[in-house]
Amino acid sequence: MNNILETFLGPGSFDVIVDILKIILKIVAVLTGALLHIAYATYFERKVIAGMQLRLGPREVGPYGLFQPFADGIKLFFKEDIIPAQADKPIFYLSPVIFYVAAITSFAVLPFFDGFVVADINIGLLFLFAMSSLAAYGIVMSGWSSDSKYAFLGGLRSASQVISYEIAMGLSLVGVMIMAGSLNLSDIVKAQHEYPLGIFAVPQFLGFVVFVIAAFAETNRLPFDLPEAESELVAGYFTEYSGFRFALFFLGEYAGMLVMSSISALCFLGGWTIPMFITDALPFLLYVPGIVWFLMKVYAFMFLYYWIRATLPRYRYDQLMGIGWKILIPLALVNIVITATVKMWIMGLL
Amino acid sequence: MITNKLFKTISFIEIIKGLGVTLRTLLFSPPVTRRYPVKVRVLSKPGFRGLHALAKDEEGKMKCVGCGLCGAYCPSQCIHIYTTEGEDNSKIVERYEIDTARCIYCGFCVEACPFGAITLSEHYEYSTYSKADLYMTKEKLLENWGKYFPGDKGRQYFRDFWHPLSEDFHGHEGQAMFSKIKMKGKE
Repeated sequence: MNNILETFLGPGSFDVIVDILKIILKIVAVLTGALLHIAYATYFERKVIAGMQLRLGPREVGPYGLFQPFADGIKLFFKEDIIPAQADKPIFYLSPVIFYVAAITSFAVLPFFDGFVVADINIGLLFLFAMSSLAAYGIVMSGWSSDSKYAFLGGLRSASQVISYEIAMGLSLVGVMIMAGSLNLSDIVKAQHEYPLGIFAVPQFLGFVVFVIAAFAETNRLPFDLPEAESELVAGYFTEYSGFRFALFFLGEYAGMLVMSSISALCFLGGWTIPMFITDALPFLLYVPGIVWFLMKVYAFMFLYYWIRATLPRYRYDQLMGIGWKILIPLALVNIVITATVKMWIMGLL
Repeated sequence: MITNKLFKTISFIEIIKGLGVTLRTLLFSPPVTRRYPVKVRVLSKPGFRGLHALAKDEEGKMKCVGCGLCGAYCPSQCIHIYTTEGEDNSKIVERYEIDTARCIYCGFCVEACPFGAITLSEHYEYSTYSKADLYMTKEKLLENWGKYFPGDKGRQYFRDFWHPLSEDFHGHEGQAMFSKIKMKGKE
């Protein structure tokens, strides 16, 4: 078998094929996990927000309503696909695809536990920024190509919001990069583990707060969800979408939320590790697999998303832009200056 | 004042207090949703205006004489009455129909009827899949009387809520009155 492959495809090709098969299996595992998480993120959002509003969430479909996401998916699949007559068809078809693909591709560089990444690249964090910027393309294209006032305004507002808060998000993560010394996400988690306090959220407190606020704005979630505010703009940039195209936008939004939660879990909360001072005190915790800690942190951050949605009113558009440019960017810059100064002092260069 | 406001903005203290309220609601307050088809709310207010019924007197005959006052008074014009002449020139009600889809359940017809013939029962769970089932004919309405006003309930309806005007008619000696009603103090 080995010899046949080597005569056809060149020396060493058996290892290449095994590697390719390993990557394909990882992709299948990650994709299944990610899609199930996205589907159940919608279910848990409805249940959690219902509990906070003194009512019950979905209960009829399946036990405790657990099959609700599948019922929603099937319903959206069978709905009529309505396209405005004057809409720009190729772009109209393309934009939900761009949005969803940009969100899902980010799952390729996230390390879920030690050694398990689909693509272990040295610029993991930069790749995540790039993908969230590409999602903004999907939004602008969808707003512009649906020939409708609401979609147009929603698309413009959302695009400007996303690009403003991207800057704040990127700058807040620069502090993490300085402390870890690398853009590779696995290296960042390992650097956190070696740090005495175990997580970067404590020394990078300012960066963490800026990142959380920017993450809410990036994913168009309350309190920054004016682009898709139902009472203001019908549905903002995805007004004219129906059926499965709408489902793609909807799933893309929840995928973006999961990606942001994962980034904060990896960069600020320690990823799959727990701080050493805790394992020294309770050594049995070392037997728990790393993915459990990672998922707990991601779920905690998702709960924060739902919790804030149930609590806060939304910001007006000019207040929103004011916060992004006038408050978050200066704070992130101050954070970078302080982090760099402290690091240089520790390294003896100051 | 300025430092107080600045402190509140920086520390997010008001947002955190709001988050605390929401979390407390999630963890400690039970939901107030009533699971309707399983747990039906018992009507706490008697006299609720629901499905229509044509009243029958003690002998089982219909009280309605076909005067048409209910149809004339109805704001939605949902009562349709057709009468013919029977033997010995009496008026018989041939068709009496109420379109319950148009009805606004105001009770003006009950108020207008001098004989207490049309009533509104307390029944409200009669949704169907076809609009034809909502168009009540005389037979269905007479049936409803037996179903939703059993026994003393009918008498209680007229005693407590809608006293028929005809029971208070009394004229002086020799005055011509409706032939079908019983008068107070006269026989």
